[in-house]
Amino acid sequence: MDVITQVVINGILLGTMYGIAAIGLSLIFGTMRIVFIAQGAVIVFFGYLCYWLFSLLGIDPYLSLIIVIPVALLLGTAFYYVLFKEAAALKDRIGSLLIAVGLMFFLENFMTVVWSPNPRAVVTSYGFVVFHLLGLNLTLTRLIGLLLALLATLGVFLFLNKTLIGTAVRATSEDVEASTLMGINPNRVNAVAMAIGIGLSAVAGINLATTYSFDPVYGFDIAIKALVALTLGGIGTMYGALLGGIFIGIIETMGSYYVGAGWAQAIVFAVFLLTLTLRPYGIFGRSSQKA
Amino acid sequence: MTKYRSGLFKSLIPSHFKRSHLNIVITVLVIIVFGTIPFYIDVDNSFFAYYLFICFCYIALSQGWNLVAGYTGQISLGGHAFFALGAYTTAIIWLNDLTKTWYYFDPVVMVISGLVPVIFAIIIGTPLLSRLRGDYFSFGTLAAAEVLRIVILKGGSFTQGAMGLRLPASSFSSMYPYYWTGFLLAIFATATVYLITRSRIGLALRALNEDETSAASHGVQILFYKIFAFAVSAFLAGVCGSLFAYYLFIVSPLGIMNLNWMFYPILICVLGGNGTIAGPIIGAFVVGAIFSYGDVFVGQIHPMITGILIILVMKFMPTGIMGLKDKIFTRR
Repeated sequence: MDVITQVVINGILLGTMYGIAAIGLSLIFGTMRIVFIAQGAVIVFFGYLCYWLFSLLGIDPYLSLIIVIPVALLLGTAFYYVLFKEAAALKDRIGSLLIAVGLMFFLENFMTVVWSPNPRAVVTSYGFVVFHLLGLNLTLTRLIGLLLALLATLGVFLFLNKTLIGTAVRATSEDVEASTLMGINPNRVNAVAMAIGIGLSAVAGINLATTYSFDPVYGFDIAIKALVALTLGGIGTMYGALLGGIFIGIIETMGSYYVGAGWAQAIVFAVFLLTLTLRPYGIFGRSSQKA
Repeated sequence: MTKYRSGLFKSLIPSHFKRSHLNIVITVLVIIVFGTIPFYIDVDNSFFAYYLFICFCYIALSQGWNLVAGYTGQISLGGHAFFALGAYTTAIIWLNDLTKTWYYFDPVVMVISGLVPVIFAIIIGTPLLSRLRGDYFSFGTLAAAEVLRIVILKGGSFTQGAMGLRLPASSFSSMYPYYWTGFLLAIFATATVYLITRSRIGLALRALNEDETSAASHGVQILFYKIFAFAVSAFLAGVCGSLFAYYLFIVSPLGIMNLNWMFYPILICVLGGNGTIAGPIIGAFVVGAIFSYGDVFVGQIHPMITGILIILVMKFMPTGIMGLKDKIFTRR
């Protein structure tokens, strides 16, 4: 019983990382209908940023959030205005997918060339502290990662529901044309959505850097699982993305424990396909959501 | 054909010379040019011939993808799975001597390598195409392809896992068979897609692209046509994979299931112009040039250049080269 609980808890902790990435994807997809497949590469990029801030300047990874998040917000806005502005307006979605692919190629290769393909990890002095609670082993880094993820989700939720701009973002993701009739500038809203999306991937990046060792090509794996989490939860629902992420995390750790590490990925995708055939719009998705 | 000829060249063309005649002339010329290249360029030692060979493979792959995405509107992100299945089928049959025929460049093996992905396409396509729409379908194909990758990696001695299967490279004699086979494959792929789009099947595909409900109400069996297009693209990708297995002599997940094989056809079709016949051909030559020559000249930072190029093309030419041609030659 203990082992299963441990596995499930590990899965939840892993899943929140996918969940954060998936929420970012959900925001970007909801407003602009862009499949931002470069999310994984961006997460790894921020992981590297955190790593270099730690090794070169000695800034604690969690404190570096203060630096990294504003950078992420700026970067997100820049991405939108430079890359995605025209593509977001087109009905045809291959264009934006390809731009995201181009960005992913560029980022991955940039990181490989400039920062070398060797795996890196941020190792802090307190990083290996393990709590023993109720017979479970919980590492401090993963707990902090979970805390960060929950705080970030709470922050985004409050932003979307309690602020004026957040309401504008929600309106745009429901119906772009109607929201322009209400006087909402779609460019501004899209830029905000993308900025938050990249900000969330910065949080995920710091989570990644402290918990795992990563190298430049790690990103695509995360991006696919975040996409799977998003689709599983149902495109367009934010809590669905987070729950989808946790579900994927649990399946991955359980599959890894019971069947073997190599098959865990296949099991995740197989479960994904199975769920899609049974519930074609995701677990929480409604068929009225525009896909 | 409009009666108002406002354009640079139209006034020079005699009025009975129809557009379709021009197309036939261009096609014959292109075939003659590429067909006779081996007679005046030394195919074995020329990089240009290698570039053309790669372009022919890209054409075959892209026409398949073009059929599914351009004409039916379903974006499949699992193309590399079909390619890999074709390559692995060829490798496994060759290594285990299953057909007991002449090994090298066996056309029977190539056809079988095309049929195995078709089976996979039908198995995967039936649940996916019948239930999923739009992005859900795309991610479903991506997930299915990734499942295949894991199955290959864990295939044990059958697929040799991550190391891949090594084929006897001593069979390699010269580039000529590759060039001809690639050329024939490109012609076959283009002709197949052309004939399909001109037939009733193509009409059905276009109908269900425009409006599925309306097409269904007119008696078009939606699922059958979608799976048909998917299967045709799987066959073309499989044969292309088989050809590549013969070319590379090593079939491994890293090389054959590389995501590039999924992105390149998409890029080629979009660059050339989605939903046209000539689009993927032009796109294949352009993209082939960028990747092959880019690999030679810029080497290590080659994906970065590629990434920037993709972004630039999508920003400024989203309708592709054929779309650009339309914009130039259409005066309102």
